[in-house]
Amino acid sequence: MSADLVFHGSQRSTMGVELELQILNSHDFNLARDAADLLALLGKRALPGALKPEITESMIEVNSSVHESYRTLCDELHVLRDAISEAARKLNVRIAGGGSHPFHRWSDRRIYPTERFQHLLRVYGYLAKQFTVFGQHVHLGCADGDEALYLTHMLARYVPHFIALSASSPFQEGEDTAYQSSRLNTVSAFPLSGQVPFLLRWDEFTAYFEQMRAYGIVSSMKDFYWDIRPKPEYGTVEIRVFDTPLTVERAARVAAYAHCIARYLLAERPAQPSREVYTVYNYNRFQACRYGIDATVVDASAARPVALRDEIIDTLRRVAPHAQPPGNADALASVAADVQAGRTDAQWLRATYKALGSINDVAREQSTLWMEG
Amino acid sequence: MPHLSFLPEFPVATHPLLLFGVLLIVGVAGGELVQRAVRLPRITGYVLTGMLFGPGGLNVLNERLLSESWIFVDIGLGLVLFELGRRLHLRWLVRERYVLATGMAESALSFALVYVALMYFDVPALHAAVAAAIGVSSSPAVVMLVARELRAEGQLTERALHLVAVNSVVAFTLTTMFLSWMHREYRADWITVVLHPLYMLFGSLILGGAACAIGLALARWLGKSAERQVVMLLGLVVFTIGAAHMLRLSVLFALLAVGLMLRNLDTRHDIMSVDLGRTEQLFFVVLFVVTGARLALPQLATGGIVALVFLAARFVGKSLGVLALAPFSGARAGSAGWLCLALTPMSGLALALVQETTYIYPDFGADIAAILLSAVLILELLGPLAVQVALRQSGEAERQEAA
Repeated sequence: MSADLVFHGSQRSTMGVELELQILNSHDFNLARDAADLLALLGKRALPGALKPEITESMIEVNSSVHESYRTLCDELHVLRDAISEAARKLNVRIAGGGSHPFHRWSDRRIYPTERFQHLLRVYGYLAKQFTVFGQHVHLGCADGDEALYLTHMLARYVPHFIALSASSPFQEGEDTAYQSSRLNTVSAFPLSGQVPFLLRWDEFTAYFEQMRAYGIVSSMKDFYWDIRPKPEYGTVEIRVFDTPLTVERAARVAAYAHCIARYLLAERPAQPSREVYTVYNYNRFQACRYGIDATVVDASAARPVALRDEIIDTLRRVAPHAQPPGNADALASVAADVQAGRTDAQWLRATYKALGSINDVAREQSTLWMEG
Repeated sequence: MPHLSFLPEFPVATHPLLLFGVLLIVGVAGGELVQRAVRLPRITGYVLTGMLFGPGGLNVLNERLLSESWIFVDIGLGLVLFELGRRLHLRWLVRERYVLATGMAESALSFALVYVALMYFDVPALHAAVAAAIGVSSSPAVVMLVARELRAEGQLTERALHLVAVNSVVAFTLTTMFLSWMHREYRADWITVVLHPLYMLFGSLILGGAACAIGLALARWLGKSAERQVVMLLGLVVFTIGAAHMLRLSVLFALLAVGLMLRNLDTRHDIMSVDLGRTEQLFFVVLFVVTGARLALPQLATGGIVALVFLAARFVGKSLGVLALAPFSGARAGSAGWLCLALTPMSGLALALVQETTYIYPDFGADIAAILLSAVLILELLGPLAVQVALRQSGEAERQEAA
């Protein structure tokens, strides 16, 4: 087995997040190209976590460190947000959350000059530039590879929840897409997107990977753009369907929600993974992208349609005993309150557009919200 | 023989619109030719076209036609300064003091070095001061247009534009102050000595403020429609240019003020971020063709060694200012050098400053022009190239990519 597939088990019930963020100019609030300058400036400071370039020059990625508690995660994200905002102000650019920039044109984007990103442009052509969408990845710690595969398959049925709770990409290229999360449509265009094959043991998974590598289809785990994938080098399962929320608070909350579900699944092992989830997977995923928390999804195990909103509230109740450490329960309470009130980022963006009347205003307000909270 | 009274009388009198059309067509063709043949910025092509057809060349654009074309040039320059003002983020300039500090430093140093150098070459003090003041300005038109042509974006582009705005304001303020000196030299009464600069400075500012107030009120009433706001903004620009002429104020300063205030006083965000690009391009082409036509190669000789001294002192002054403060700028290492290069252009703004400040004393204007024109001529040709090199080398110009 190759070294990069060795599963470096990590402490169960830990979490970490990655946020892809938008860099906007401050005159018309279109995407800017200042990632390198921003990263260089931030590199002069000692900060928790890590900051990295992303595929185009209009993006940066922020990684938190490893947390058990929602509170410490939230505090750390605040520190990072303040540092990034300060650096952005120094460079006269703005930073925004949100799964898509409301009006940029993909053809204006420039690939960040590293060999890997240039390679992606050669392979995927315009898709590489269209990939200027902004996601949040949540990592959940697992003891070993088998546990990671168990968690990966068990989390599949919660994917609509994650999509609906973080949906923040209603606009693309200046138009209302009618979706709550249009970002995932962009991801679906990639040939190696979708779901992990239905394998339950790490040795089976390793064999599958080696086969794909032997075919020359992939060279590392990074080449799979699956919605949920095991990340052996971190010892985690990585959920990748979240849009980057408009605020770091919401980012921490949705991470805490996933964290609680994972704790519940690993502690209680309520069921064995089943292929059935995948028969309705794409339909449910689409419903969540299109309608957000107002979606109706199909519950494969009960074989009936259910309101996603009810399912989330139900899940919140079921996982509540696993909201540890204690502060994590606050995050769940906020998620419940938002769902009951119908408060989502996508709805906030549409309301802002309606109130202000120009799509540039939406981008500006989006960045003000992220930078100033 | 029938009397063909419906035919025009010969020789046919040229109509100003014919002139505008010809300037556009030959300009755009010349720009393209230069771009394709030697890969220089199109602006250089517009200027060369102007020189070729102007009084110093084939004389197709003779003095009379050039004076008739002044209105198009005014609109072009007005639009440049308006756009520059609209790009400026005053809060940023104030908050992150290094850009403002750099602008002041490079302005002060270039003024001082040019002044001292010209004095050393026996240029009279007043002449040296006015020429040095005009030399403080970098051409906003060249920096903005080359950046647009290369679709450049990033810290260097942003900083260059902000520095150009700062040094344009300094240049304007200095030349206006020297009006007093000029009046005293020509023995004008003390009221003129005191009031003329004040009238120019505050009058232009008040005019800009009034236009801004009209713009903001109209924008609020018109609502968020790009079509309506584009027309309104263009109307506002032309209106302000006309008003500045009527009131004998500074077209340049008034337009910079309107743009700046519209951007920075629009707290309710009523003005949309509309793109005036294509409309403006028309006037920008004419601006550079006519600027080129006003220059002629023989002028190179008249300025002679003094012009070269002027250029060298100016470049050294600006570079010292930029480099001295570079460590505090937060920009990536190495970009300051390219920034120095990006600040070299001089162009129509310098000519317009000469015109605006010296029209009362034509003799003085001619003296200043003798020093400046050859310097402007050299920079008119080299400036766009300098900006192009700076933006390309800094990686901010658009790269050719597969998709």
